[in-house]
Parts: sequence; structure tokens; C-alpha cells
Amino acid sequence: MALVAAGFVVTTMLLTHLLGPKRKTKIKNEAFECGIESVGNARTPFSIKYFLVAILFVLFDVEVIFMYPWAVNFRELGAFGLWEMFTFMGLMVVGLLYIIKKGALNWEK
Amino acid sequence: MKELLLTALLGIGILVLDILNLKKYVLPFILLALATLVGFIAADWGTIETPFGQTMLVYENGANLALGVFAVVLFFWFILSSSYFKQHEGKTDLYALVVFSFCGAGLLASFGNMAMLFLGVEILSIPVYVLAASKKHDLASNESGFKYFILGSVASAILLFGITLVYGATGSFDLAVISNFIQDGKDASIIMNVGITMILVGFLFKISAAPFHIWTPDVYQGAPTWITAFMSTIVKAAAMVALFKLFTGPFQFYVEANGYTIGVIAAVTLIASNTAALWQTDVKRMLAYSSISHAGFLLSTIIGNASLLSLLFYLLTYSIAGIIAFGVIKETQTLEGNPLKGLYRRNGVLAFAFTAALLSMAGIPPFSGFIAKYFVIAQLIEAKYFALVVVMIITSAIGAFYYLRASLNVYQHIENAGRIVLTPLIKWTYILLTALLVLLTVAAGYIHLL
Repeated sequence: MALVAAGFVVTTMLLTHLLGPKRKTKIKNEAFECGIESVGNARTPFSIKYFLVAILFVLFDVEVIFMYPWAVNFRELGAFGLWEMFTFMGLMVVGLLYIIKKGALNWEK
Repeated sequence: MKELLLTALLGIGILVLDILNLKKYVLPFILLALATLVGFIAADWGTIETPFGQTMLVYENGANLALGVFAVVLFFWFILSSSYFKQHEGKTDLYALVVFSFCGAGLLASFGNMAMLFLGVEILSIPVYVLAASKKHDLASNESGFKYFILGSVASAILLFGITLVYGATGSFDLAVISNFIQDGKDASIIMNVGITMILVGFLFKISAAPFHIWTPDVYQGAPTWITAFMSTIVKAAAMVALFKLFTGPFQFYVEANGYTIGVIAAVTLIASNTAALWQTDVKRMLAYSSISHAGFLLSTIIGNASLLSLLFYLLTYSIAGIIAFGVIKETQTLEGNPLKGLYRRNGVLAFAFTAALLSMAGIPPFSGFIAKYFVIAQLIEAKYFALVVVMIITSAIGAFYYLRASLNVYQHIENAGRIVLTPLIKWTYILLTALLVLLTVAAGYIHLL
């Protein structure tokens, strides 16, 4: 049974590979960039600022995700949940103030 | 629980002080918090606390004592390293990272659940990856951080895979449930054994035992010296305490079945490190190999039915000696040529502290490194691992050679030596730590009272 199943998979994969028509052109082999012509090499160095902003975005994105379940269970959690959320937000605010102080969001410098 | 909250809040507090431009109060603030932490531990002595009624974290005497040892070592680390960090522009960042890493050490001392174990290992390691690369414009420091990060994350992945396999075999992350699973007489399946082996491999990397020790010399040499001191003491001690808790607790059956394999690993660690250390010309690299050889001793505590007390005693003496040795290297690092040569002419206190630290690492009485090694060896003899004891004694003799060679170098005569000036606080801390190395030998006689 397993042999038949495995054999079927292998045979169909081999057959499509062998029988399928292949017309490779230079344009077809290029990386697909949403229909736009690709320019240059992908491995050019980026400014570190992009990475900083991206990673900070992820951080605050996750913070918002954490607020959804709290908002859904707002009534059940009551005052306890409110204070827990305040603590969490407080810690995030300290982090935000810290990165502003460190100049991580200063694009010009 | 309040110990963990205190350390986490301390880390955030440091960032707040940075935001408020109060950088000069950071160090007193940290020292005060660490002293409070030790006070909390003393107040909690003899109680068992399981926060929120869960067994995620369990604070009993062993966990509290381990946490106390880490806190004391960190306290002295902060005092001695203050002269280096005073000039550093990112002082508060580095302090905060060290404190966050210490949070992980706290978790590893008190975990009661595999999830907390993994969380602890990660919180312990990730700040250290950053710290190792914290000399931004130094190529060696960057290389060190990068190597440690790549290899450390692979080791963490192996550890995590091991944890999931153990979960698959027992159906629980809880250490108590895993212990009961074995004690109920159920057979440990092959999946369980493979899982435990992978956990062991992950930890062997973290404590830098052979054959997973190759990263240590490069990382220790490249990282800023005070960060190396932190890595080789607190990070290693925390990983070792976690390893000890697991393998003398729920995984004891594994050690009973594979005692000789672990013994061989310890022996290979001792031989590989001590023979390699003989050929080192850089003293920092030599201390890295010495740190690997101590991992061999530490690892053998889990097969010798050693008590947690003797492990912590070893960790405390080794950490104090390590902080002194790396500190002295840092104080002399700005000098050209062979900076340690003729150190006694530059500063007598540093020279004597350095000698005491190296002799303690070599295990020469009256320094407490001797008693620490004695505890380990005595327990191994009781457990009848005679071959390992023979390897330990031979490699200790090899070790004494290179430790003494480095100490003799300090007492060579040199002409027109410039003085190294220490602030009174740092000078007296070196004297206090050196005295502690001797006093701990005396204290070892009272260790059974705890």
C-alpha cells in the first residue's frame, strides 16, 4: 500500500519533469519582482537605520497584538487585567523613551 | 519571586536613569540593589516559595543559595569593572545588559519547568552575545560576538530539540512530573534518552566542556576583558547550576546508566584543555583554556553524587579567582610588550592578588581552590571513578606548571617600571577578594552547618 502510494508520487513527479515542455529564456529565468524589471544586485549594503526601524516596528507590532486578547477579555479580567496592562505598557514606554534618547529614530544623523 | 522582580526592575531602572541623565548614580544604584537582593535571600532562608501556586519557579534553599553566590560575584564584578566602564560611552547599556543576563542566571537557579529552563538559557545568553561584540570598532570583539552568537544559537536549538523530545516521551515540561514518570518504574524510552543526550550536549556547549569547547579561546580572547570575566564566571556558573539541577534531579537515572560516558567527557575536557594551555603565549587565551579545564571538574560533580553545596563552593572560589585574574589583565592591558612582566614593581597589590588567584585555580593550599577540588575528588573516589581521579591529579600537575609560569613572570625584575595607580575602593576590593580566597578555606570547615 505504502509502496504504491510512494511509487505514484515518484512516478508522477518524474513524468511531469520529463514530459513537460520547457522553454527557458533569459527573461523567464529572472527573479520575479511583481512584474517590475529587477535592477542590480540584491546584496548591496543597507544603512543600519532601516534595520533599526524594522526591528522597532516588530516590537511595537507585537505589543498591539498582545492588546487584542486583553480587549476581548476586558470584562472578565477586570481591575487585575487593567493593572497588568498598565505595567506592560509602562515597560514599553520606558523602552520607547530609551530608544528616542539613544537617537535610534533620528533619521538625519 | 521578589528576587527575580528585583533584578528585572533593576535592569529597567538602569535604563530609566540613563533617560533621566543620571548616569553617575548608576553604579551605587546597582550595588544597593544587589545588596538588597542578598538581604531578600537571607530573609527567605529556609522557606519554599512557588510563585502563583505553580511549579514554574521553585525557590528553595538550593536555588536561593545559588542566586546568592551569583549576586555576590556580580557585586564584586561591578566594583572592580567600574574603572573600565567609567570612560565607556555606552556604560548604562552594558550595565543593563549585564543585569538582564543576571536575570537569566536567576531563572536557571530556580526553574521547576523545562519552559523556564529554556527561557533562562536564552535570557542568560542573548545579552552576552551583544556584550561580547560591544567593542564596536574592534575586529576581534566583533568576531568573538559573531562566533559566540552562531555557535550559541545552534547549541540552544539542540537544547530545545532535546526538551521537546523529553516532552514527547513524558508528556510534561514539569520537572516533578518527569521525575515521577521515571520513579513510577516506567521504562525510559529511546526517545527520552536521545532527548536527554541532546539537553546534555546543549549544556556541555554552554559550560564549554569537550568536545564542544573549541569556541571558548577565540570568544574569550576577543571579547572585552571584563565581559570575558563575566562570561567565564556567572554565565558558566548559572549554566552549570542548571545542568546540576537537571542531572541530579529528574535525569538521575540517565547519569546512573551513562556515568562512565560522562566521566570520559570530563577526562577528555581536562586533558585537551590543560595540554593546550601549556602552549599559549597570550595570558587571556591561557585563562580561557583554564576555564575549560574547570568545566571538566564541574562536570564531574554530577557523576560523583556531589551535593549542590560543594558545586556552589567550587563555583564561588573559581569565580572570585576568575574575576581577580581577568581584572588584573585588564588593568595592565594598556602597557606595551609583555604587560604582566614585573607587575610587582608597578603595583604590589595587583601582583599579589594575581598570584593568589592563579594559585587558587591551580588548587594549591591555603587558597580555597584546593578545598573545592578536594570536595570533588573525594566524592568521585566515594563513587569509585578512580581513573577519572588519576586524570584529574595528573592534569592538575600540568596546570600547576602554566599557572606558576604566569605567576613567576609577575615577579621578574624590570627597570624603570611605571606605577599603576588604583582608586582606594578598587585596591581594597582586590585585597578583600584575595583574603576571601583564604577565608573560604576556613569556611569550608563549617559548610556542613548550612
